Amino acid sequence: MNGPPERSATTPPATIATMQTVSITVKTFATFREVADATVVLNIAGGATIRMVLDVITTRYDGLGKMLFTETGDLRKYVNILKNGRNIHFIEGLDTIIEDGDIIALFPPVAGG
Amino acid sequence: MDAYAGNIAYIDLSAGTVKVKPTPQSMKEEYIGGRGFGIRFLTDMVLPGTDPLSEDNALVFATGPLTGTGIPLGSRYEISTLSPLTGCAISSNSGGVFGWKMKKAGFDAAVITGKAPKPVYLFLDNGEVSLFDAADVWGRTTGETTDIIQQEHDDTKIRVACIGPSGEQLSLITCVINEKYRAAGRGGCGAVMGSKNLKAIAVRGEQKIGVADEDSLNLIKDRIRGKIEAEGVSKSIQDYGTAVLVNIINENYILPTNNFQTAHFEEAEKVSGETIKETIFKKAKGCYACIIRCGRVHEIEGKTGEGPEYEPIWAFGPDCGIDDLIAVTKANSICNEYGLDAVSAGATIACLMEMAEKGYVDHPIRFGDADGMLAVLRQMATREGIGEELADGSYRFAERYGHPELSMSVKKQELPAYDPRGLQGQGLAYATSVRGGDHVYAYLISPEVLGSPEKIDPYETVNKPEWVRTYQDLTAAIDALGMCLFTVFSLNADDYADLMTAATGIPFDAAKVMTAGERIWNLQKLFNLDRGIGMDADTLPERLLSEPLQEGAPKGMVWHRDELLKEYYAVRGWDETGVPTTGKLKELGIH
Repeated sequence: MNGPPERSATTPPATIATMQTVSITVKTFATFREVADATVVLNIAGGATIRMVLDVITTRYDGLGKMLFTETGDLRKYVNILKNGRNIHFIEGLDTIIEDGDIIALFPPVAGG
Repeated sequence: MDAYAGNIAYIDLSAGTVKVKPTPQSMKEEYIGGRGFGIRFLTDMVLPGTDPLSEDNALVFATGPLTGTGIPLGSRYEISTLSPLTGCAISSNSGGVFGWKMKKAGFDAAVITGKAPKPVYLFLDNGEVSLFDAADVWGRTTGETTDIIQQEHDDTKIRVACIGPSGEQLSLITCVINEKYRAAGRGGCGAVMGSKNLKAIAVRGEQKIGVADEDSLNLIKDRIRGKIEAEGVSKSIQDYGTAVLVNIINENYILPTNNFQTAHFEEAEKVSGETIKETIFKKAKGCYACIIRCGRVHEIEGKTGEGPEYEPIWAFGPDCGIDDLIAVTKANSICNEYGLDAVSAGATIACLMEMAEKGYVDHPIRFGDADGMLAVLRQMATREGIGEELADGSYRFAERYGHPELSMSVKKQELPAYDPRGLQGQGLAYATSVRGGDHVYAYLISPEVLGSPEKIDPYETVNKPEWVRTYQDLTAAIDALGMCLFTVFSLNADDYADLMTAATGIPFDAAKVMTAGERIWNLQKLFNLDRGIGMDADTLPERLLSEPLQEGAPKGMVWHRDELLKEYYAVRGWDETGVPTTGKLKELGIH
């Protein structure tokens, strides 16, 4: 259902590149911080999806793509991604549209508490 | 040969007598061990109307058949008793090495009744049972007690589970600490030990723990080790400890803050697992046979200690509006030394803070006051000043000042670190828990937040009663088996059945595991019903029913009791008032 993990696209498709840019914050936690910054502010074309955000992030940080995606490009089963506190699994998954000011939180698998 | 030690010790502290009898086969088949044994003994031995702090209460230490067999995460022992905090039959478990050594000492359980005429400690020593004068350790902290008992016997291999000064003073929120840092935390087990003048149980064991089918068990061990390590699900808590949850729960806007007034703490990062790793973390530590090693050894000001875990961090941190990791860690250490339940202690101080801010209590403490929190905690630990009123938990304190609604508790036991307004299933698990406010009798956080075994919508009520029942029954079985609850993220009932069968030779399948769990749950429910704890107690604090969350994705949400509880009772096969039907009890063979 998803693109390859190390897709090199760093800009959104032309159809949305002309749209207004939005600013979002991507936060990483736990083991993801071993390869990525804890907080990243991105300016990205309005109408972009979580999938596109992950394309940008995984291109910027080596190794993050393999932590997020399987070899076949699927989001790993126990990875959780929140948009403003709501798991994207219950919105539109990786096709969830981002909006200006969104906070996207990326969590690795966690078992325990 | 099987994985049971084969014997149960019965100790009458009033008479100073000990009897050792074989572990009944019927108990193994129906109640497995651990929590199952404990609840069965309580039901048989403790009459309705019994004062929990009287000599008529019973205290049961029990291992499970899988404890100490070398199975990954098979380390647990259970303490069961009539809780002085909740009035419920409770069991509280702990890891470390104690359970393994207790079984190697030759005992599946120690059933303790009566009250010693003077302080004593019990010694289970390679098949022998003795009582020793505890004059040298009475009044001592848990760490001092452990060291002194080992010194008295000149053997550092002896493992000690004991109470601290708070348990001696009968604080209702006291725990039992084994190996200085591991807590059987909830429900006031420590006060029951204190009421019996029982300072500690020491164990020394070198006996072999056998299994029925070693070849099969080894194959199953390999399988479940692979499952526990698969998908990297254990790596985060290996690397960051259970405190890895601080940021996760906060980002979901369900981290109770300032006594559940909000559910998002702006400074959560400062007390997170990530910050611990960068600051006070020294090394990871695991229980017997653990392949996860979620325990943390910390170093502060040149002094090492253990913890803090997620729940104490929350209780002394966000729930008190405190972002000072050092203060939180010191608070956790005080609880370990004095034998206080860190969840209840922290949540009780949060209750005090809100009542003080609202002017219901004349006290200077306010949310965010780390020094004030530590000062009040020390008073609680020794029952001095306002600590005398706080030492029995938030409900009794808030009720004393006319505001019981500000105690964030269920059945008078403080809720843990997840706001149920944004977690409909976990809310139902809290409300219906047979030991009071608690998350480890059914950890719905796993599917509702962490996505294991699958992601279910935390805001929805549909199908949640069935999920809750399944988690409650499975958890009861895990507690009976002697396994760590963290296995629930990776294993299923088939795995537990295979382990049980190979270890004991008693044929189990998944259905039999789940039925045993359901039997334990129903027996515990009946115990509570016989003491007047029924449907009215199956609820949450009014705040969580009527004050919507104000921030983030769950903004506007409350917990939906009516639609959840009615269906839950139906799913359980209970009547509409939450009483198990005759048919259900017959089906489970409860009599």
